[in-house]
Formats: sequence, C-alpha cells, structure tokens
Amino acid sequence: MTTKSLTFPQAFPRPKSSSGIWSWLGTVDHKRIGTMYGIVSFIWFIVGGIEAMLMRLQLSSAENDLIGPEAYNQLFTMHGTTMVFLVIMPLSAAFFNWLIPLQIGARDVAFPRLNALSFWIFLFGGLIINASWITGNAPNGGWFGYAPNSGATFNPGMGMTYWVVGLNVLGVASIAAGLNFIVTILNMRAPGMSMFKVPIFTWMTLITSVLIVLAMPILAVAGIMLMTDRVYGTHFFNSLGGGDPVMWQHIFWLFGHPEVYILILPAMGIVSEVLPTFARKPLFGYPFVVFAGAAIAFMGWFVWSHHMFTVGLGPAANTAFSISTMLIAVPTGVKIFNWLGTLWGGNIRLNTPMLFSISFIAMFTIGGLSGVIHASPPTDAQQQDTYFVVAHFHYVLVGGALLGIFSGIYFWWPKFTGYFLNEKLGIANWALMLIGFNLQFAPMHWLGMDGMPRRIYTYAENMGWESSNLASTIGGFILALGILVFIINVFYSKMNKVIAGNDPWDGRTLEWATSSPPPVHDFDEIPQVQYRDDFWFKKYPETISEYYHDEHDLVPKGALLDDETEEASPVVSGGAEGHGDDHGHSAIHLPDMSYYPFILSFGVAIIGAGFLTNTYVIGAGVPFLLWGLFGWSMEPVNDPE
Amino acid sequence: MTVASVNSECYAFQAFKVTSPILVVGDVFMTNINYPFLAGTYSSQMHRVSKLSFPLRPALFLLVPMAIALLAACTPENNQSTFGTAGPIAEDQADLFKFIFWIAAIVFILVEGAVIFIAIKFRRRSDSDKLPYQTHGNTRLEITWTVIPIFILAIIAVPTLTQIWEQQNLVPQDQGQVLNIEAIGHQWWFEFRYPDHEVVTSNELHIPVNRPVAFKLDSQDVIHSFWVPKIAGKVDMVPLNDNYMWMIGDEVGTYYGQCAEFCGIAHAHMRFRVIVDTEEDFQAWVAGMHTAPNAPVAGSPEASGKNLFAANCSSCHTNDSTSPGSYAREISSQQARWNGWISDIENSGIVSAPNLTNFGQHSTIGAGLKDLNKETLEQWITDPSSIKIGTRMQKHAAVYDTSDGAVKLSPTEVSDIATFLLSLKPGSAPAGSVVEASGDVDGAEVFATNCASCHSTGDNTVVGPGLAGIGDRAGTLVDGLSADEYIEQSIREPGAFIVDGFPAVMPGWSHLGDDSIDALVTYLKTLK
Amino acid sequence: MTQAAATEHHAPVENTSTGLNSRKLMMWAFLGSDVMFFGAFIATYLVYRGKSLVGPYPSEILDIPITSVSTFVLLMSSLAMVLGLHYVKEGQKNKGTIWILIVVVLGAVFMGFQFFEFKTFAHEGLTPRTNIFGTTFFILTGIHGAHVTIGVIWMAILAYGSHKGTLRSDNSLDLEIAGLYWHFVDIVWIVIFTVIYLISATDGPPLGVGPTIVH
Repeated sequence: MTTKSLTFPQAFPRPKSSSGIWSWLGTVDHKRIGTMYGIVSFIWFIVGGIEAMLMRLQLSSAENDLIGPEAYNQLFTMHGTTMVFLVIMPLSAAFFNWLIPLQIGARDVAFPRLNALSFWIFLFGGLIINASWITGNAPNGGWFGYAPNSGATFNPGMGMTYWVVGLNVLGVASIAAGLNFIVTILNMRAPGMSMFKVPIFTWMTLITSVLIVLAMPILAVAGIMLMTDRVYGTHFFNSLGGGDPVMWQHIFWLFGHPEVYILILPAMGIVSEVLPTFARKPLFGYPFVVFAGAAIAFMGWFVWSHHMFTVGLGPAANTAFSISTMLIAVPTGVKIFNWLGTLWGGNIRLNTPMLFSISFIAMFTIGGLSGVIHASPPTDAQQQDTYFVVAHFHYVLVGGALLGIFSGIYFWWPKFTGYFLNEKLGIANWALMLIGFNLQFAPMHWLGMDGMPRRIYTYAENMGWESSNLASTIGGFILALGILVFIINVFYSKMNKVIAGNDPWDGRTLEWATSSPPPVHDFDEIPQVQYRDDFWFKKYPETISEYYHDEHDLVPKGALLDDETEEASPVVSGGAEGHGDDHGHSAIHLPDMSYYPFILSFGVAIIGAGFLTNTYVIGAGVPFLLWGLFGWSMEPVNDPE
Repeated sequence: MTVASVNSECYAFQAFKVTSPILVVGDVFMTNINYPFLAGTYSSQMHRVSKLSFPLRPALFLLVPMAIALLAACTPENNQSTFGTAGPIAEDQADLFKFIFWIAAIVFILVEGAVIFIAIKFRRRSDSDKLPYQTHGNTRLEITWTVIPIFILAIIAVPTLTQIWEQQNLVPQDQGQVLNIEAIGHQWWFEFRYPDHEVVTSNELHIPVNRPVAFKLDSQDVIHSFWVPKIAGKVDMVPLNDNYMWMIGDEVGTYYGQCAEFCGIAHAHMRFRVIVDTEEDFQAWVAGMHTAPNAPVAGSPEASGKNLFAANCSSCHTNDSTSPGSYAREISSQQARWNGWISDIENSGIVSAPNLTNFGQHSTIGAGLKDLNKETLEQWITDPSSIKIGTRMQKHAAVYDTSDGAVKLSPTEVSDIATFLLSLKPGSAPAGSVVEASGDVDGAEVFATNCASCHSTGDNTVVGPGLAGIGDRAGTLVDGLSADEYIEQSIREPGAFIVDGFPAVMPGWSHLGDDSIDALVTYLKTLK
Repeated sequence: MTQAAATEHHAPVENTSTGLNSRKLMMWAFLGSDVMFFGAFIATYLVYRGKSLVGPYPSEILDIPITSVSTFVLLMSSLAMVLGLHYVKEGQKNKGTIWILIVVVLGAVFMGFQFFEFKTFAHEGLTPRTNIFGTTFFILTGIHGAHVTIGVIWMAILAYGSHKGTLRSDNSLDLEIAGLYWHFVDIVWIVIFTVIYLISATDGPPLGVGPTIVH
C-alpha cells in the first residue's frame, strides 16, 4: 500500500549507521538521547560546580580579593542558571528519556524525532548561555534577573541578553520534551497498565511534564519582555516609562515556583522507586503519594509571592501567600511520612542507591522545615536575601534533588549499562557528598541569621562571618571530592565490569523485565500488565493477596483490570508518529533515524545567536529552520522498504 | 556597640564551636571508613545485598546537622545578628523565629529519629531473604499524618498573622511621637530625608530612642532593600513603588545596616549605620544640621579646600543644607542630578550623590565601609574605587581623568579638601541663622561656586553648554526678551529654554538671591 | 477509492492507551501551554492598563469599528475552517481545497488589517517605545499576529496538499490538528479584542498623571 505524499529533496541520505558520530547525530532512540542528556548535563554540572567553588574560595575569608565583584556577579548568576536549567532539569530529563518507555512498556516515546529535537535545542541553548564566558560577557544580573537591574539602563553589556536568549531557547526544548512525555505517558502505556498502575516515577514525570508545559511559557513571556526592553527599548519593566519592576518579579516567580517543583518532583519519583525496591515492600499508600504529588503541583501555582514577602505587597497579600505556602508543606509531609511507612517493616538493604535515598529523606526534611520557617513573613523579613535562604534551597536542591538523582544513577546504572557501579567507591561518594554538603550548607543557616546578605562578593572582618564561611568552603571542597569519586567510579566500574544481569536489585517495575542494557526495541514482547508493580507480583505471585486484599483493591485473578484495555492490542511500535501505519502486531518496527531534528535545532541556535550579534545572522538561521521543518514534516517516519 | 538581649541558651554552644566543625565531622566519619559491608561479597546476578548490620553511624551522621542547626541560633553579639535585637520589631521577629524553630526542631527530631530508627531496626540481617509483608498502605494512618501537619501549621499561623498585621500595617500612634523619614536607595548609598525637620543626610541615619520611626522607602535606580537586622527586618526599596515600614530602636547605640537586594557591582559595599540617640542627642543633632559650620579662616587649608570643593565637587555634593529652604532645594537638585545621569549614562558629568552637610560629624565613609578620618578621606578622594568599586563619582566627575580615573588634583589639594570636609561641623552661629551675603557680590565668584562644575566659560560642553559669548547670543534667542532677561530667566527657570541637544537637568537657582543673580548675569555677559 | 470507503466519516479508533490520537493529544497539551503564554501577556496588559505616562492613550488612537471588521473576518475564517474540514473528511477534494484557501485568505486579510493598524498607529505617534500602552499593545497583538501568520502558512501548505491530493479524508487528522490551532488563535483574539479594544477603549491619561519619580 503506497500512498502518494509530498516529498522533500534530500540533501544527504537518511542516516542508517548504528555506531560512530553520525549514529548519534541522527538518533531518535530514547535511550541514546537519555544518555546524551545525562552526559551533557553532567558536564554542565562540573562547570556549575567549578563556579560554585570559585565563589566559595572568594568568600572563605573576609575582604578577600581573589575574585572581583564583576566576576563574582557573573559566577553566581551562571551558577544558578546552570544548575537549574542545565543540570537538574536535564538530568531529570535523562531519566525521563531512559525510563519512561521502559517503565510503561513501550518501545519509544510518542514522538521520537521531537525528542531528539528537544535534546539538540537544549544542547545549543546551554552553549549559547555559556558562550558568554568566551566573549567575556557572562550574565551578571542574577539567575532571577530582577528588573531594572537586568535592564539595559543599569546593565548595558551583552550579558543579560545572552541569558534571556539562552533561557528562551532552553524553554523551547523543555516545552517540547514536556509535551512529548505527557503524550507518551498518557498514550503509550502497555496493555493493562491503567493510570493507577503506572510506576510512581512515571507519575511524577507526568506531573513534572505538565508543570513544565504550563510554567515554561511564562518564563518565555518574561524573557520576551526583558528582551524587547533591552534590545528595542520597550517599557515593560522600565519605571521611567510607566513599567513596574515588581511586575517582573510576579511573572518570574509565577514561573519560578512551579519550577522549584519541576526540579524536585522527579527526584521524589526516583526515591519513591528506590525505597520500595531496597525495603522489598511496595510503596506505602501509592494513591496518597500520587495525589500528594499532584497537590504539590497544583498548589505550587499559588505560592509564588512568598519570594516577594519583602517587596511591599502589603499585609493582606503576605497573609494569603503565607497561608498557601504553609499549606503546601502538608502534601510534602505526606510524601515523607509515606516513605517512612514504606521503610517500616521492610527488609532494608543499605546499598548505595538506598543510602542516597534515605539521605534524601533526611536532608529534604531539613530543607522543608527551614522552608516553613520563612513561610512566615515576619521571620522571612530577617531571612529574605540572606544566606539562610541559600541554605534552605540548597538543602532542597542538593540535599533533595541532587541526592535523589545520584540515587537514581546508582540504582539504574546496571540497567543502563549492564554492569554495576562499584559499591565501595559508591559509598565513599555518598559519604563525602553528604558530609561535605552538610558542612557547606548548615553553617549558612547561622550566617543568614547573623545577617549575611546573599550575593555579596566580600564582607568586612568585624562581622563575625569568617569561621562559618571557611567551614562552608571546606565543606564545598569535600562535596566536590565526592563528585570526583563518582567520576572515578564511573571509569573504574567501566574498566572492572561487574555484570549485573536483568534484575540486579530484585526490582518491581517493568524496566527490570528486559535485558540490561535493553535492546534497541526495549522489549522483545510488549508486556501485558495486571498489577501495580507488575513485574514484582509476577515474580512473587504468592504476595499478590497481601497487597490486593481490600475489597476495592481486589484483583480478579487473571483478568485485566482496565476498562480501556477491552480491545487492547499490543501498542503500536515506534511511537505515534507512525499514526496507524503499521498494524502489524508482531513486527517490531522502530522509527528510522533522522537528521532533521539536528538541522532544525541548529537553525534555532543560529537565530538565537542572531539576537546576540546582528539581524543578518537571524536571516542565516532561517533557512536551516525551514529546511529542518519541511524536511521533517515531509519525511516519513519509516522509509519504504 | 551595644548588645541588647542575649540568648543565654546560645552560650552553651559556644564551647562546642571552638572545636571546628570539620573536626567534629572528621571524628564521626573519617576515622573508620571501612564499613563492614564493604567487604561483603555479592552474588553477581540477583539481590546484591549488603550483609552487614549497619552501624550507628547514620545516627551520628544526622546528629551533626542537628548540632550545626542548633549552633545557628547563636552569636547575638555579631554586628548584624538578628538575635541581638535592639528594637521590638526585631525582637518579635526573633521570638517568632525561635517559636517556629523549636516546633520545627521537634518535627526534625521525630522524622530524623524515625529515619535512623527504621534504617537500623528493619535493616537486613544476615542472609535472611524473608519477604516483608507486601502492604499497600493504611488509609486511616495516612489521613492522620495529613491532618496533624495542618494543626501544627495552624499553630504557627496564629502568631505569624498577628505579627504581619502589627508590623506591616500602620505605624502605631500610641507609642510616642512618630518621626517620619524618607529613605532613598541609590546605587550604592542611602539618602535619608527628615521632612518633619527639613534635614537631609546620607548613609548615617539618626533616630531617637523609643520613638516610632515611620519610613517611606524609595529608590531612583534599581531595587535595593533597607535592612537593619538588630532593629527590624528588611523592606525593599523599589523604584516607583513607595514602600512603608516602621521601627523602634529601644536601645541607644550604633547599628549596622546593609542593602539586602542585589543591586549591581557594589552591592556588597552598600552599607549604612543607624545611630539611635537619646531624645536630647537627637534634637541636638537636628539643631546641628541647621547650623552652618564656622567660616574658614582666610588662607587656611579649609579655605582652600572650600574653594576647591566648590569648583570640583559641589555640582553633585551639596554641603550646605543648613539654611531654610535648602531642604526643598536639595530635593530638586538631587532630582536634577538624576535626570542628568539618566539622560546620558555614559558621559554625564553629573550624578546623584550624598549630601555632605556637616560631614565632619560622620563616623564612616563610603556608605559605612571605612572609619572616617583624614587618611581614609584622602584615599577616597584620590581613588574612590580602591575603597568602593564601581563608584559613580570616579566615572562621572570631571575632576577624574576619564581614561584612567586618576584624580586631577595635587596631593595638597586633596588634603585641603579632606581637611575642609572634616571641618564641616555645626559652627557657633545660632541654629537656623543664615549667613547673609554682605556688600558687593562678585559674579565671577558666584559662577565659580555654583555654575562652574557644569558650565565652562569657553565653548566646550561639560554638562551644560559652554557660555562663551552668551551675552551676544542671549538677546537673539527668544523674541521679545533682552539678553539680561533671557539669562536671568534661564537661571531662575532653566526649563523655560532648553538648548537643543542638551538634557533638561539644570535646577532652578532663584535661591541665590537677587543680588547674586544680578551679579551673575553681569558676569556672564562679559564672557567672550 | 476503496480506501476512502474504508475509513468512513469518523476517525478510526486509535491504538493508544487513551484511544486519542497522540498528535491530537499533543496539540491539546500545546494549546494548554499557549494559554499560559497568552495569559501572561494579557495579564501584563491588564496590570499596566491606564499606567501610561504620556500619550497617545487608547481613547485617542483605537479605532473600534475597523478592528471589529477585522475581528469579524477572523471569526469567519473559523467557520471556513469548519467547512473545509467537513469537506476534506467527506472526500470532496475541490470544495475542501477552496474552503481551506478561504481560511488562508481571511487570515491574510486579518494580518493586512493589523499591518495597516500598526502603520497608522506609528504614524500617529504610538510605537512600542512611546508609552506602556504602546509596549503592551504592540507586543501582545504582535505575538498574536505571529501566531496567525504561522497558521496562515500552515493552512496554505494544507491547501496545496489538498489540491495535490496528499491531504485526503483518511489523513484529514492533519487538517483537524491545524484546525484546533486555528480555532484557538481565533479565541485568543476574541479575548484580546475584548480586553484591549472594548474594555480599554475609553482609557485616557491616568488621574494625576505625571512622571513623579522621586518626591
């Protein structure tokens, strides 16, 4: 059955090779894309870490003149921007890519080429922002870019333009990835896997993706406004032209607070997978954990002004946002208690992933509690913009998100590669990170209470801040040493492979059902799902009755639980881009590789660079954009054989 | 430096702190990294499980952050400690912090205790492979631990809301006569105006003890934040958004303040002092701010410094806001300086600058950066960036070389200016009196003192146009106005005729008085 | 022909977990995202309403009758869109092509109105740099115009496809998805028209106007 379709002249043949650089440039395989996300964001992690260490060196003593204020302002701006947009978000995306199809029993994501596009745009966005170091114009207005200090009047260099352009490019990548995962999770589940049987990490990915899709456009709006202010002289945030600098803060934090949950929810999902596996018990109160995640995501939209308690919004607004902020602690607490409930009565194996996950609970709790403290505007009046806040969000983002991600790395590494990461080095990695982290950030609590403001590059000797800062710097280097041990571990384990097998941890979810590493097509046969933790209950059928014993949980033995699966047939291989092309039930038919995502993203990158240089460059990018767009839309998912 | 209330409970931890935290951590962790289970062998395929009984180390592990967290509540004697409070607002805020902190501490101990307890109690022992019961959850339990936090948060919310409405609403009228102050943030210094007393000063704020002070906070450029940790929490200074706050200093002393919102390159150097005076001292200070310094003796360094200051510094720095009317004048001058800077950020010859009236009374220089003495002041004048990087003065004032920022004054001249500035203290003249200009007024002198920093007598542009030949031009510029009338009106109401291509930044000079203006017009007409 | 008969008038049951086509689902999700995008711009406009320090003010410059005409044109394009999709699904190639072309033309006419409006405003002294009304007005309507432009190009390609026979009833989903986008852009315009033109039509200078920056 050949159908007539529009064709697009091909400049070079469709990529076919399965190795070498061209296989990576043209790949649409979710696993390869996940790997690329992981590697690239880890490189940025090292860059952001070096930035942090330079700042810590500068602050290690009073009146230090190691780094001037100019460089310091660039460092903290880039450290924040890098860690949020180029490290935690894409590291989470690496896990989304690798795991979502495996966890829901699919052969790829819904839109494999769009997935590749997301990655390439992310890569170029990161390069654009960091190119500013090379041109000597690194952004210096803070990752929060408060107007008018980020406007052209007070910040005339190119730095904040790099920042805005880079963020908008990254925003495109995030939104595309978010849309892809929403559709993938909703539409690509294995037969029988109803929404309340999907693994908890997949749930958290879905919630995160919804947040990304809804929050990133707001950042784009902020970015466009700041961009036109800076480049074309509009007045959005220009107080001299009738604009209001506070408006920037509203828009930025309306994006910024959901962003916080975009950063932490994936880590919560990882921990919610690791804890049950190593406690050898199901997640305690799965529906509660799901609903708590959804509640956090929903309530996250109504708390943004707690970043602005000192802006002068008035007592009524502060009251409202104080209450909403306190309330968001409730679902967060539910998650922590449910994790403890998961551990309770378990048979706990303290392997590296578990150590990271338990530390996650411990550290995240600290971050959560300090969050409650400055949810109260009167105490926040003393803490806002001090190191207390720095301590708080590092406990959430390093003690929370990063420990969770490391837990995930150690947990799924055998699945990704087929061999274990070394356990000894892993524990050294964990211990150094945790000690260093606490030594670095715990003293910041009292620095904040001692009145040390954030974002100052130096301080006077008579303030009493020196010993705490020194301890913090030492802690920072211990943390960095922990990361170094991790890198050593990666290479050591690669050279001394300990083969893991398909199911090294006695796992619970579908990704452990396939081989390690999984084949290109993920599953030889698409699994039929009956239970939550389907893989576990099929391994240990004698435990089914323990889990499903309540009336409403009762499982009709051998029957599919799902209404939708009445007419269930194996999910179409190769994603939705084939839209009904192949109804061949048994044939494994993966989408062919494509260069167009790369070409399209290259066009986007050139256009972005055009905003930083001159209009002709924008013109130079457009052909690539159009080439990518048209080539893509007229390229069949699979070439006719 | 006074320390108000000291939390006695904090001192328990001071000794602890002597042992550097790294040693504590080191003792706990580093001595014995050979965890027994590291030696464990793994079956390569299934269930790679650790075989050890986990030691108590995680417990110690969690004790460290706890100890550190407790340490956080200490050092009230530090200059910006939020615990060594000297005012009721800061005290309330510190009390609220402690209240929430202890609730959080209880939750912390329960949760972390549970983590440790569970990790130890339910750890895998020996090789037992017994599967735990695969429970799916317990709805009743889960509802319980959803509801309990709500109650805890409600307990926190009550004092929180009470304090919000106490602190952020209206200034109390029943705690003494309210003093109104307008505080304005500039990159990177603070301006303080006392509308009740018609006093304007900078970087060192005097307030009377035990009287509510109502602040109106504003900024001209970027967002700053006004923060005196020992007296009250911060409120931002946002351009075009007037913010209000109030505070009471209940203990006499000098307190540190600092800008808390990132505001550009010298953010770290944007500090100030709050001097809480007794009522008598405060009134004396206000009176002093209305008393002109004694005139320098002719031929003295002060006299030379005065002339040098007038010629090089006075277009941006007002130093004589002691006379009636000078308050309003300073406000309009400051606005004009701002307009001048914003209309040509790169090359403006004028910029907002601190008012230096009675500067000799100050104790610090550079927005609280250094103690004020002749040495630091000379260093400041010679090379401001060596004390505070990014200082606008060095970039914009004509007295600094545009290429390398070097001051165009000899060391003697710098010394004279410093001597003059340090001599600016309330003189012996009675408060409020104005030193009358006596006898003939010399137009050239009036020009040198008041106009020369923006206008040259040649053709070149400084800020405003060069005035050579103004006498010939002036009569031809506006129909029906003679040269005299044009010049006079330009002095009194500069907005009336703006020369094309120049920003409308010049303030009105009617306050010079008729005699001086007449002399000035006469002088200007002589310029060729 | 057999193919057309096989697919009938209703979409085939999709082979996905939800039964919804993945691309359609993604378009819905994308529109959700775009709602936030426009929402933020519209909210900004509303916050800044009446804050202009200098003229021209909306009451002096907005021409409601003309914009009503362009609004009507855009609304009619949605009707054409519905008809176009109907005929494409029916397999009536020529009618389908014509109605899609009408969408393209009406969209282009709307863009022409906007171009004319921008030009007139610029002539009367309102640019994005003039005042906060100019800033918010031009960026919001400009962003919407960009959406319409993309839609017009998209529709033109589909019209070409329909003409060439590559857009048929069996893959009319391509058109349906484009239609979702087109209707959304129309709906957004109704909100913008209401907010900018109807609500703000009488906005003049704010009370006590004057750039008081510092007292």
